[in-house]
Order: sequence, then C-alpha cells, then structure tokens
Amino acid sequence: MKALLFIAGRALQGLIVMVGVSLIVFFALFLTGDPAAVMMPPEASRAEIEVFRHAMGYDDPILVQYLRFVGGVLSGEFGRSLRFQRPAIELLFERLPATALLAMAALLWSSLLGFLLGTIAAVRQNSAIDFVIRVISLLGQAIPVFWLALLLIIVFSLNLRWLPSGGIGTAQQLVLPSLALGAYYFSAITRLVRASLIEVLGENYIRTARAKGISNWRIVVHHALRNALIPVITVQGMYFASLLGGALITEIIFAWPGIGRLAVDSIQTKDFPVVQAVVLFAAFTFVVMNFLVDVAYVFLNPRIRL
Amino acid sequence: MKHIRVLFLAVAGLLTPLSAASAQESEITIGRAVSTTALDPGFLREAATIVDNIFDTLVMRGEDMKLVAGLAESWKPLDDTTWEFKLRKGVKFHNGEDFDAEAVKFTIDRIIDPAANAPTLSYIRTVSGVEVVDPYTVRIKTDGPDPLLPTRMSRYPTYVVPPKYVKEVGNDEFARKPVGTGPYEFVEFVPDQHVVLQANADYWRGTPSIGMVTWRAIPDGTARVTALLTGEADFIESVPVDLVPIIEQSPDADLVLVKNGGLTVYLGLVMKEAPLDDLKVRQALDAAIDRKSIVDNILRGMATVKGTQVGPADFGYLDIPPTPYDPAKARQLLAEAGHPDGFSIKMQSTHRYMKDSEVAQAIAQQFGDVGVKVEQEVLDWSVYTQDVPRKGPIFMLGWGSTQTLDADAAVYAIMRSGEPYSTADVPELDSLLDESRKIVDPEARKKVLEEIQKVAAETVPLLTLYQEDALYGKAKDVEFAGRPDARIPVYDIKLTR
Repeated sequence: MKALLFIAGRALQGLIVMVGVSLIVFFALFLTGDPAAVMMPPEASRAEIEVFRHAMGYDDPILVQYLRFVGGVLSGEFGRSLRFQRPAIELLFERLPATALLAMAALLWSSLLGFLLGTIAAVRQNSAIDFVIRVISLLGQAIPVFWLALLLIIVFSLNLRWLPSGGIGTAQQLVLPSLALGAYYFSAITRLVRASLIEVLGENYIRTARAKGISNWRIVVHHALRNALIPVITVQGMYFASLLGGALITEIIFAWPGIGRLAVDSIQTKDFPVVQAVVLFAAFTFVVMNFLVDVAYVFLNPRIRL
Repeated sequence: MKHIRVLFLAVAGLLTPLSAASAQESEITIGRAVSTTALDPGFLREAATIVDNIFDTLVMRGEDMKLVAGLAESWKPLDDTTWEFKLRKGVKFHNGEDFDAEAVKFTIDRIIDPAANAPTLSYIRTVSGVEVVDPYTVRIKTDGPDPLLPTRMSRYPTYVVPPKYVKEVGNDEFARKPVGTGPYEFVEFVPDQHVVLQANADYWRGTPSIGMVTWRAIPDGTARVTALLTGEADFIESVPVDLVPIIEQSPDADLVLVKNGGLTVYLGLVMKEAPLDDLKVRQALDAAIDRKSIVDNILRGMATVKGTQVGPADFGYLDIPPTPYDPAKARQLLAEAGHPDGFSIKMQSTHRYMKDSEVAQAIAQQFGDVGVKVEQEVLDWSVYTQDVPRKGPIFMLGWGSTQTLDADAAVYAIMRSGEPYSTADVPELDSLLDESRKIVDPEARKKVLEEIQKVAAETVPLLTLYQEDALYGKAKDVEFAGRPDARIPVYDIKLTR
C-alpha cells in the first residue's frame, strides 16, 4: 500500500512537471516575438502577414491558443510544421530512430569503457594508472563537444581518411558521432564507477570478505561492483533519457538526421509547432524515465521508500 | 576460366539497364548548408536550389543572366496590364502529362488564390488572373502596369506544375514527390539527409550530361569542406571565409568565387529617431566607415565595396562610387550637427553574413574613432528578425537582388517608407520608388531607377557597405563557374572524369 502511494505520488509530481513544461514551452516562444512576421518571406506585405496570422490562429487571445495547444497535445496533435507543412509529431517520430541509434551507440561504448577504467582506477587507487584514468576522464568532461567533433573530423576524415565526415547509413558513419557524443558520458561514468566503488570497498562487509581470504578481484567483481552499480545505472537511465531528446551539436556537425538537428533548425526558422513537440517530447521522456527509476528503487532498495 | 568470366560479364551487361550504366559514370553529390523541407515550388519557404533542377519557368535566365525563352517561346505586352505568352509545344511532364496553357493557368491560380495562403505570393503579387486563349497561348493580367512581369515569370513560384498530378495527390504529397518538366526527375527525398534526382532523358533542351544528382545536407561548415576534400561531395555551397585557404591549398578541390554573387550588406538607420533624423549625422557615420580596410582585412577581399544597394548585374544599376573614408570630415559633420563630442547609440547585428560579428566590431571601433560610442548587440537570427527594423537604431542587414537582377528588388523594400524592412523616411525617394513601379517602358524606367540611387546617395537613408561574393567549392573534375543569381543548374555542370 505504501509502495502504491509512493508511486502514485511520483506520478502526480511528473504530471505537474509536464503541465509546467507545457506552459513554459507555449509562452516562451511567444515571448520572442511575432510568429506570423517571421514565417512570411521578407517581401511579404503587411496585409499578407495579417492573412497568414489569421489563418494560423495567431490572432486569437493567448489563453485560447494555449488551451487549443494543450487540447491538441492531449489528443496527440501537435499542429503542423510551418516549414515542412506536415504534422510536427510525424517529423519527430521520423527522426527518433536516428537519435536513438546514436544515443545507444554512444552510451554503449562509454558504459563499457567507463566501467572498465572506473573499476581499474578504484582498485588501483592513487597509482599511476589511476592518475592517467582520472586525467582522461577529466579531459573528456572538460572538452566541449563541438571542438571534439571537429577535431575527430579533421583527424579521422580529413587527414587519415579512415572514416566519413558525416551522414547516416553505414556503420562507419556511426563511429565519429558516437565517439564525440559519448566522450562526456564515458568520463562521467568512469568517475562515478570509481567513486562509488571506492566507497563500497571501504565498507565493513568487504573487510569481512578480505578477512575470509577471498581474492581481491573476486571481491571486486562479486561483492563490491554489484552494490556500486546502483547509482551508476540510475545515472545511465537519466543520460539515455536526455540523449533521446536529441544531441544538438553532434547531430548538426555530423549531419546526423536526428531530433537535435530538427530542434535547432526549427528554432532558427521559428517553426513553433515542431519546437513545442520536440521540447515536450524531451521533457516527457525525462519525466517517464525519472518515474521508472523511482519505481525501480522501490523494488531494488526498500530503504528508499518514503 | 577466362571465357566463363567474359561470358558472365557479357550477360551481366545485358541485364543491367542502359540508363543505370550511363548514370553510374556521371554522378554528382552536392553538399548544401541547409536541409530541404519540401519541394513544391509554389509553397516553398526556402531557397529554390533543388527545385530549380526539377521544374521550368515560362521565361529563363541564360548564363549571361539575360531573359531567354523557357517554356514560353515568346512574350509581349498587349496593353498596360496584359502580357501574352506563346508556349512551347511537345513538352511533357516527367509523368507523361502534356504541358499546355491550362497547366500555366493552374500553376498561377493555385498561388494567387487567397485561400491557399501561398508563402510565395509576394513574388507575383501583381498578377490578377490568367486567361487561356488556346492550348499554347496564355494572357497574364496584372492589376496595374507591371514592367517586371517577364522577370516574375522566371522566378520559382511560377515553375509550371502538372495539374492532373497535383489534383490527384494533393499539395502535401506533391511537396514530397514533385513532378515537373525540368532536366531532372525526382527519385528520392529523405528529410535532413538527401534528395536524389536523375536525368530526364526526354528533356526539351536535350538529355542532361550528368545522370544522377544527390543533394546532401551538411549544416556544419568544416564538415562540408571536409566532405569536399575527401570526395564525399563533388560540389559544396557556402564556403566559410576562414576555410577558403584550405580549399585553395588542396590538390583535390578548387574554390569557385562568384563576384557580386551574394547579398549587399548595409547598416540600416532608423531615420525617425534622433540623432539619425539629421542628414549631417548620417553623412558623418557614412564617412567614418573604412570599407576598404574591412573588405581587405576581415573579408579577405571576398566582397566589393559599394556606393549603391543595386548590383552591377541588375537592370537600372548606376555606378555610384562608395563614400570615401574620411574621419576628419566625419568629425566636422558631427560638430556641425551639434554633436562636437559625439553621442552614444546602439548597433545590432546577427550571425548571418560573412564574418558579420567582426565587421560589426570594426565599424563600432571606427565610429568610436570619430566620437560616436557604439553599444553593440549581437542577436541570433531568429530573434534578430523580430527586432529589425523596429529597434536598431543602427542595424546590419544583407539584401539581395540576385534573384530578379533588377534594381527594384534591391531598393524598394528597404528604402520605401512603411515597407516591413524599411526604416527610411525620405518623401522624395518614396515618390520616385512608387513612380518606378508604374512605368512599363524600359528606358524611362531605367532613368527613374538611376535617379533613385542618386537621391539615396545624397539623402543617406542607409549606409551601404559592400556586396559579398558567393563562395562555392568544387572537385577538380567538376566544371562550373557559379552564377550571380545563386542557382546551381546541374544541367550546365560538366564532369571531366
């Protein structure tokens, strides 16, 4: 019963967040100016702009527009893209597979390598190899993705000619963007695994295990890592959720046809319905992921309840 | 063994369709900075670069930018408000539909229909109706004298579309799978990735030499240049000025520089506000800018300093020398205007034009040198278009006439008071601008257009800076010199491989 109440409470919180996001998404775009004037070509006369404004419903009271917007969203209707003249939600789902593929590739390599290096660093704490791993993971988080992406293109596409500079379709084309996108997560996961493993390795039950004469690696793999994983997996859930919202810079530089690029193009051209759909989708994925993680806690660690 | 292989190859050769074999020899990949959203010329909200290759207009521009016969063989004005076009016979759309007068009427009617809300309406705003005289004669009526009608019939909203197909599939589907009469047929369109076209073997001007065209969207400048240098693309648009040396030094690629192929960048002045309402102040600011130094040092010479907004290739162009750099005179004019110690003013710019931030910074410094303190504001384009031209009071904007190659497009919208992008307020200019739109006789019109430029130079409603060059990159085996109207007609590109 307590668990059910907890879950219901979290669901309600998620709902409140979504209402807040919808308000911000809707009003923020209107704060930046007049959509009708921007969408028409520079040569359009004032009269033509007015006709367009009326046709799009931009001359209705703002509250009416908001309610119409929310009503539409609830029935899965985000309006039509002004630029593509197609339903915004259709454009979003069309680009979701590309974004998901990139997100999974980036998360996969960064997790595997992050776990490995994080574990090595924790076990060999304060050694030379720990120092090297710490520097690498610090760099990975400090280097801006746009710089890393361009560097990868210049080195691997332009100079070595090993890999294509962009586009989608082949496995080779996935390498550079997932490297650029995953660098940050790789560093974050390395650091997190290292920190949480060091913490667990200091626990009493590990000392007990050592006292029983169990080998060092067996302790790490069978006893410590399992407990150190909980915070890491939580964080990965959030990373994946945020990656599904689109990787803005990576997708632009590598001409990757995902949600991030759709978002940037839509913001630049003031394609209101698409921007709204993308932001709401990103927020929704995040809220749902957060909710699932919370629910998972109930089962994974009963102490977290309440 | 050898015989078997030969036999196998021969059979394989028979099985491969001939067109595919020839297409393979001549493919071209063109890298563009922007993604394509739709391909319906009448409802386009972006540059028509790709649809230019799928459709034809009644009137076309040859490589020398003169108007030449397109789908119309000839045209003439019948009276002040009626133009008659004689159409080419035997032309078919890619789907087999016949091109005729009904198709022309359908094409224009679907745009001027107020219910259609066509975003391209402004380009043919003066057209009031189309009358079919016989299957190969149409009369286009305008609601007043319109000297530019033949030019309008060369622009993308008037690309002739097939009536039966459009009615059958609807506008939305048509925008995804366009059918035209042009040199290239539509094959595939994957949003944010590519558009693929193949040669129309029955094209009325002759079969195109390049079989397949792939237009790839590569938004990042460095990635675009890399794609060119590695052979992933054969031709790219919009080369960033900073990356020009990389292309120039490459053994695999060349820079294509189209002089005066870009926009003319100017500083707009909100003339209604003090102190910009004072002619002497405007003249002082004009003299305070060292245009030559900006073009030479910041833009690496890839622009031309200008004294008029009109392009040298435009009808009505008058060669007005750029205002000389003269800080002493600027200071003197400011003193005469009652600002011996200068004043403070805000200047807005955006990220849209070649090295615009650096240029704005240099100008702010040059204004500072004569005592005018500039508060700079750099805004994202999507926000900028909201502010411009209402705020300013000084703002940087690029304006072009490369699509029409007529002085009207270069000046009317930014100098006629009351137009959405104009902050000018000179009654003498207004009356000249309005007069120019009513004259059909080319010689008389040319005189008025020249007069407009003279008056603009005297009254300084804005500060013309320079006209950008258009920069493309091409592989060594691509032959294309670029065009002042910024089109990329693949029909005119030759491959030497």
